[in-house]
Amino acid sequence: MADDIQNVRNIGISAHIDAGKTTLTERILYYTKRIFAVHEVKGKDGVGAKMDSMDLEKERGITISSAATYCEWKGYKVNIIDTPGHVDFTIEVERALRVLDGSIMVLCAVGGVQSQSITVDRQMNRYKVPRVALINKCDRAGANPYRVVDQLRHRLNHNAVLMQIPIGLEKDFSGVIDLVSMKAIYFEGLFGEEVKPGEIPPPFLDEAVAKREEMLEAAAMFSDELMEAIFSDTVKEALIHEAVRKGTLSRQLTPVFMGSAYKNIGVQPVLDGVMYYLPAPNEVEIAAVDMDRKEKEVTLSSRPDDPLVCLAFKLEVTPYGQLTYLRIYQGAIKKGDDLVNTRTRKKIKVGRLVRMHADEMEDISKARAGDIVGLFGVDCFSGDTFTDGRLNVSMSSMFVPEPVIFLTLSPEDNQSSVKMGKALNRFTREDPTFRSHVDRESGETIISGMGELHLEIYVERMKREFGAAVSTGMPQVAYRETIARRAEFNYTHKKQTGGAGQYGRVAGYLEPSDEGTYEFINQVKGGAIPTEFIPAIDKGFQSCLKKGLLIGFPVTRVKVTVNDGNSHPVDSSERAFVQAAVGAFKQAYFKAGPVIMEPVMKVSVESPSEFQGNVMASLNKRRGLIMSSAEDGVFTTVEAEVPLAEMFGYATPLRSLTQGKAEFTMEFSRYAKVPESIEEELKLKYKDRAKRGTA
Amino acid sequence: MKDFFKVSPLKILEGPAHKGLGKGNLGVLMAGAGLGKTSCLIDIALDRLFRGGKLVHVSLKDPPEKITSYYNVIFSDLVTVLGAENEHEVRDLIERNRIILAYLNESFDLARLRENLNNLANEIDFVPESLIVDGIDFAQAKPELFEGFKRIAEDLQAEAWFSALTHQPLAEADEGGTSVAWNGVDAFFSVIIRLYSTESGVFLKLVKHHDSEQISEAVLRLDPDNFLVIG
Repeated sequence: MADDIQNVRNIGISAHIDAGKTTLTERILYYTKRIFAVHEVKGKDGVGAKMDSMDLEKERGITISSAATYCEWKGYKVNIIDTPGHVDFTIEVERALRVLDGSIMVLCAVGGVQSQSITVDRQMNRYKVPRVALINKCDRAGANPYRVVDQLRHRLNHNAVLMQIPIGLEKDFSGVIDLVSMKAIYFEGLFGEEVKPGEIPPPFLDEAVAKREEMLEAAAMFSDELMEAIFSDTVKEALIHEAVRKGTLSRQLTPVFMGSAYKNIGVQPVLDGVMYYLPAPNEVEIAAVDMDRKEKEVTLSSRPDDPLVCLAFKLEVTPYGQLTYLRIYQGAIKKGDDLVNTRTRKKIKVGRLVRMHADEMEDISKARAGDIVGLFGVDCFSGDTFTDGRLNVSMSSMFVPEPVIFLTLSPEDNQSSVKMGKALNRFTREDPTFRSHVDRESGETIISGMGELHLEIYVERMKREFGAAVSTGMPQVAYRETIARRAEFNYTHKKQTGGAGQYGRVAGYLEPSDEGTYEFINQVKGGAIPTEFIPAIDKGFQSCLKKGLLIGFPVTRVKVTVNDGNSHPVDSSERAFVQAAVGAFKQAYFKAGPVIMEPVMKVSVESPSEFQGNVMASLNKRRGLIMSSAEDGVFTTVEAEVPLAEMFGYATPLRSLTQGKAEFTMEFSRYAKVPESIEEELKLKYKDRAKRGTA
Repeated sequence: MKDFFKVSPLKILEGPAHKGLGKGNLGVLMAGAGLGKTSCLIDIALDRLFRGGKLVHVSLKDPPEKITSYYNVIFSDLVTVLGAENEHEVRDLIERNRIILAYLNESFDLARLRENLNNLANEIDFVPESLIVDGIDFAQAKPELFEGFKRIAEDLQAEAWFSALTHQPLAEADEGGTSVAWNGVDAFFSVIIRLYSTESGVFLKLVKHHDSEQISEAVLRLDPDNFLVIG
């Protein structure tokens, strides 16, 4: 069954938190007979939804770590990645999007397109993911799917086309009318498993006819054949599906479905939509870079008999060892095969190969292009590419944002220290936005990530999954230092204290760089500094960048040009030139107008319109720069750029200012110079810490 | 961005007998469909911003992301054409002095706009010297709407610039370059500028200028890519 790649769909389900993604996934697994009972997110039965496999996720009712699962629908193999809705876990969403070919975008019929939906939509655009939309929760009080369709069109710029209309709304929501077949569809049985087509109820007929015309008009833009069929009144269902599919694959059309996963209404037609409209793996262009040809971009074929290329996109700890999730882009893989890790060039043997079903698994003996599978016993990092050795290619690197927040972590005893080490090793392999290091001077372990909740979740996982008793410091902002202008240096390092002396002179200048964090230019002519000492000078400058002289944070965006110097035939050494570079940096740094940069977040606050003033005032008070305010019905979304340092604990005052009716999201926007008053404050604190020996 | 003023569409208001739109007044840029009203209106907005004033862009149609991206694209084009040594600072100036108020899915009404402007003034001390209003359907708009805008502009002591789709009768009526009868709302506008295209290019023409009966015959030729003056 389903051996043809045309019958494979790799899809994600992504949306705003609480839009009902996990409930939808649970229903899909039930209807595709992968599970035989339905549990709710935060359900009273204490079991929790299938995709929320970590205890913490079940407890908080949010999906943190995307688990892959497999099911079959009408002869199609469907791999589903459930993705987190909170912006702090964006890397999970980004990773899921990287390996997906299409997505179901779940929107709440009451809340509509919320700020997080905009973020996720932007991410999907970045990875060119075609999608179908489901307007969920049509049974809820205040449900207005037509408003959501308008928002899809105007706020997200989608050519949203209704494929269905609801039969009733709120408590009267009882089914959907399929505008392709022009039939009413009802969902009967204990959990809506029996799909019952019927005639369109007369009160909905006119609306259905009008909306079908709109749908046909939109679909006909992608098919001359359909256009002709409309004129000659010979429209066939297959023709509509084909045209809508064409529009969807080109991302110029978004088919919209209606439903209530919780009430078991409208889920199966969405699965049909996945089948009809989302791409098979061979319909998506996948590029890799050829490491043997200066990283030239190559397109992969998705043919099972071509050389193997697959990507490790997620790692998980399981009782059986490390589980690596692989997406196979080209070729095939079977038990006993040898794989080569492109990054390390190490060879590994395929041992246990499994198809994942949330936290359960099914052993398989082979898999091929288009499949998403799990592999045990592979030592690798998330993002590694594997081949069968015939090619030396790497999947293009994923976009990984820099961490913007950090906190100190202290184990409470020796045993916890060991466990904490294991946990950190695991988490940093799993999540490239989560980082950890030991501060050389204070000896403290420092973890950094994308937001308060991001770090909070890892600390909790450390306690629960690894049994590490740890305490944490207050979250702190990851400041950066940089320079504002060019400054010259000419420094001689000279030491004669008995034994071999040390001598090295370096001259040149520091200047701001727009490219990356650090550039080193060697313009030394005539052998003023012997070539063998140049790398030592580079190393010396780089060592200074780790800890700036203003407040001890990393220095970025600096270009160093060395154009002159001097050496001594006996006393010059690598060490001497490292020291000379360090001295030169110190000499020039303060002349180069060093400034402190802070992470600035793009903050979006959605609230009932009467609180617009309060929201603006609260952001302004936090040094926020108000960018816009958009009114939509009774809601207003205020967008601002606010320094991260001012956003800690914002949820509490926002709640009290808006009677708990507002919500906010934020994501990293850019680094910006801190105001002078704050700069002085930070410098004073640094001096104070330095005095106490804790800087 | 000093060079911008030499090529700004608002150059049409320069001249010995002419003055700008003026505080408390309404001005309108009218053009046929697809001619580039929004782009030209954003050039007018940039003119106001580069002169150092605060500005509120009111959109009745597009969401803030789209408006922001219009500004970004148009500003990038300007930098390409005119060059800018201090591009980052100018971008920063635009962002600090512009706020977008969008009213989606027919959420707009004057009372709401007034309340939003009051919030800007009272809560974040942002009082605009210019309003840019895009997306009003002039064919449907009632005089009361512009009366309300006029009052807002007077209260704020701000200039308010609108864009309007030219309707056929209007296009015919203003051939002679005189003031036009326009649903009875032209009286609210102190300045009316018309953007039009012919086989030889895109042009800007002053149709109404305060109470002046003698309007300059000058027509400015615009670059169709960026709506900057080229002749």
